[in-house]
Amino acid sequence: MVRAGGITNAVNVGIAVQADWENREFISHISLNVRRLFDFLVQFEATTKSKLASLNEKLDTLERRLELLDVQVDTASSNPSLFAT
Amino acid sequence: MIEVEQSRPLNPVMNFDEVSMERSKSFVKALQELKNLRPQLYSAAEYCEKSYLHSEQKQMVLDNLKDYAVRALVNAVDHLGTVAYKLTDLLEQQTSEVSTIELNISCVNQQLLTCQTYMSREGLRQQQLLAFIPRHHKHYILPNSVNKRVHFSPHIQTDAVKNSIQARARLRPSGIPASKTLSWHLASETKSTLKGIPHASTSTEDARTSGMTSEVFHLVDVEETSRTKSSATHLQLPSGGPASGAIVQTSGAPDAMESSKALTTYRSFENQNRRAIAHVPVRSKSVLSAFFVKQKTSKMKAGSVA
Repeated sequence: MVRAGGITNAVNVGIAVQADWENREFISHISLNVRRLFDFLVQFEATTKSKLASLNEKLDTLERRLELLDVQVDTASSNPSLFAT
Repeated sequence: MIEVEQSRPLNPVMNFDEVSMERSKSFVKALQELKNLRPQLYSAAEYCEKSYLHSEQKQMVLDNLKDYAVRALVNAVDHLGTVAYKLTDLLEQQTSEVSTIELNISCVNQQLLTCQTYMSREGLRQQQLLAFIPRHHKHYILPNSVNKRVHFSPHIQTDAVKNSIQARARLRPSGIPASKTLSWHLASETKSTLKGIPHASTSTEDARTSGMTSEVFHLVDVEETSRTKSSATHLQLPSGGPASGAIVQTSGAPDAMESSKALTTYRSFENQNRRAIAHVPVRSKSVLSAFFVKQKTSKMKAGSVA
């Protein structure tokens, strides 16, 4: 009786260990995918930041050119006699 | 999320602003849904913890929890992918819009530069019509006969005459006869206008002791006057006065011979000029008169425009 109980216990322990190993494997898979998701997010953030910075720089340049054109057109329009032939 | 996108009808009639508005709206919606995932996951985790602790069928709770974790992860990845795709699409759209704006600004800039160039050319053209730029200024090209007309005085600058004489000497070796050069024509033209002057020049010649005949010889006259002045200063010196004066006088004798030779050469040149001048006036009227008439008409135009 005692031996049968011991065998049962050993089987239970074995099953428990196996279940534990499966759980650990599942957890490792989940954690691995979460880390991959994190890496994707970091890479996506860097790419988006660079794109936004370049866009911002382009907009600044365009803004300055527009200001220059505005001043030139105002200068030309303030003296209409220049266009008289 | 994918079903929502598929159910949206495609409307090709929408213009560019509406399409951009739709894109930005969808991006905001996807971002809001991703943000809403966080409290859902937190609430699901608390429920699973409480049910595992209080329930008797722990294995079933554990299995349910594993399935829910996998679905939640897949759902989160899906939401993140949607947000990333929409954000990238929005950035590309705005980049293309900025490029279009840059092209339009370049076009406007080019048009402005064209207008400026046209205005500057027009102004330059108008100024060119008014400006009178003298060509072949006589002062720098023509011989001493022109200086007579411009600065008629016996005490003429020697440097200008020397340059004119040197220029004449340079022209001679070129092989072109003096009767056919432009400077010669202009000189002859001025010579013809000064017909009354030679009488005064002859009177000055007689007055001079060195024997010079016209303003052409003023260089020699200046040299002689300078020599006479130096001799006078030497004679005036108290120390060794008469000896120095004798030395100067003796040294002046060979110079006088050279000066007489120079006089003869200059006299011959002047005679050639005078002989050539006699034939010129007929030709000068046909060529130079037209030239001067044109100048006068341009002056008249300038007067009228002003």
